[in-house]
Amino acid sequence: MTSALLFKEWKKTKWFAIGAFAVGLALLTYIFLKLGRSFRMVGLEHLWDVIVNRDQFLFRDVKYFPLATGFCLALAQFVPEMIQKRIKLSLHLPLSNRKIVFSMLGFGLLALLSIFVLHLIVILTFSVFYFPMEIIESMVYTLLPWYVAGLTAYAFTSWICLEPTWKRRIFNALLMFASLQLCFLSDFPAAYSLVVSAVLLIPLYVLPFGYFSVQRFKVGIQD
Amino acid sequence: MQQAIVECKNLTHYYGKRCIYENLNFEIPQGRILGLLGKNGTGKTTTINILNGYLKPRSGECLMFGESSANLSSETKRKVGLLIEGHVQYSFMNISEIEKFYSAFYPKWRKDAYYELMKLLKIDPKQKISRMSCGQRSQVALGLILAQDPELLILDDFSMGLDPGYRMLFVDYLSEYAKAENKTVFVTSHIIQDMERLIDDCLIMDYGRIVMQKPVTELLESFKRFKFNCTNPEAINEISDIYNPVTIKGNTEVYSLLTKEDLESLMRKNNVMTNEIQEESLSLEEAFIGLTGKY
Repeated sequence: MTSALLFKEWKKTKWFAIGAFAVGLALLTYIFLKLGRSFRMVGLEHLWDVIVNRDQFLFRDVKYFPLATGFCLALAQFVPEMIQKRIKLSLHLPLSNRKIVFSMLGFGLLALLSIFVLHLIVILTFSVFYFPMEIIESMVYTLLPWYVAGLTAYAFTSWICLEPTWKRRIFNALLMFASLQLCFLSDFPAAYSLVVSAVLLIPLYVLPFGYFSVQRFKVGIQD
Repeated sequence: MQQAIVECKNLTHYYGKRCIYENLNFEIPQGRILGLLGKNGTGKTTTINILNGYLKPRSGECLMFGESSANLSSETKRKVGLLIEGHVQYSFMNISEIEKFYSAFYPKWRKDAYYELMKLLKIDPKQKISRMSCGQRSQVALGLILAQDPELLILDDFSMGLDPGYRMLFVDYLSEYAKAENKTVFVTSHIIQDMERLIDDCLIMDYGRIVMQKPVTELLESFKRFKFNCTNPEAINEISDIYNPVTIKGNTEVYSLLTKEDLESLMRKNNVMTNEIQEESLSLEEAFIGLTGKY
C-alpha cells in the first residue's frame, strides 16, 4: 500500500523531478565550463589566490537552485491535491491519516535529497581532481546551508499548500521567509562550519506541521 | 428492522451564524438506497462531509458501521466507496494506472467490474483522466467504486455536469449493482428524475430543516397536488398540513399528505370557498417542488 502511495507521488512529480535534475546538471556544466575557461585564461595560480586569499567561492551560481527546486517540488506535489480538495481521496484510502500524509512528505523529501545528493556528488567528484581536502571541506560547509534551504523551502511550501485557511498560509509564508534567511546569512566560505548541524534541523522541525494542517482541513476549518 | 449502516444523531451545523440544520437525525439500514434531496445550499455536501469525517459538526455525531465518522479506522474506510462532487479523481493518472493504484488498497478488488465499464468508454487505456470529458470521468469514478466492492457507497452529486446519456448509464449501472449485491447507498443530487429511478428512501431538506423523510413509494402514494378555484385564497395560508399554496388568477394549487376528503373538510372548517377539488399524483420531482417550493 505504501508503494502504491509512493507511485502516486511519483506520477505527480516525475517530470518535475527529472526536469529539476536536468536543470541542475546543466547549471553544473555551465559552472564547470566557466571554471575551465578561467583555468585556461588566468591560470591556476590566480584561481588559487582568489580562493585562498580573497575567500571567493567558485560555485556561487548554485546558490538558489536548491531553494527553487524545493519550492517547486512542493507545489508540483501538493497543489494537485488541494485543487478540488482532491486530498479527500487520499485521506479516504484505508490507511491512517498520519501514514498517508507522512508518506507523501517522505516521498518529497527523498526525491529532493536524491537530486541534491547527486548534484553534490558531481560537484565533489569534479573538485577532488583540482582542490585539496581543506578546500573541499570548506566547499561542503558553504554548499550545505543552500541545500538545507531547499529542504526547508519544501517543508514550508508543503505546509502552506496543505493549510486550509489563507490567514494561516500567509503567516506560514512569513515564517518561511524568516527561516530561509537563516540559510543565507553569509556567502563567506565555510561560514556555517560551527552551526551547520543546527541549520540541518530546520526542515526536520517544519516537516510535521503539514500533518497538523491536514488535521485542520479534516475538521472542516476554512476561510 | 435491518442493522443501520449509517446513523446520524442530532446533527447541528452552522457556517458562522448561518444555521445549516439543527438536530438532523437519520439512519440508513443495510441494503437501502437513501437519497438526500435539497436545493443548492441546503446542506447536502455539508452532510456528506460530516459523514466522511471532513467536517466537524457544531454538535451531534455520525456513526458508520458503529464507528464515529470523525475518526474512522482503516478497516471501515475500506468498506466505504466515496464519490466526491464533480467526479474528482487523480487526473494525472490514466485508466490503467489508476486501477493499479487503487487495487493495492482493497483486497476484494474486482478488476473485471472496472474494465467492463471502461469498455463502454471506447478510449485508449493510456489516456490521462485530465483529458477526459466529465461524462467519461464519471464512469472512471464509478468503475473504481464498483471494483472496490464497498459495503456502503457515498455519492455526492453524481449527476453534476453529466449529459442525459451518461446520467442514465450511471443510474442504471449503480442501481443494478446496488440491488444485486445488497449494497447500502447514500446519494445526493439535484436532478430529481435520476433519483426517482434509483432510491428507496428520500430525505428532503430545505434551508435549515428536514421537510420529509420517507420511502419514495410511500411519499408518492400519499403526497398529492390539489387544484381548485378559490375566492379567498389568503385563508389557505392559515391552514397547517398544506404545503406551498399558490394562487394565480383564482386558480389555486396546494400540496398535501391529506386525502381529498380530509382536505375538503379542512377547507370547509376554515371557511375556504372552493369549487370541486382535483387531485393529482406526482413524480418525485413534482413532490420535491411541492415540499420545498419553486423558489
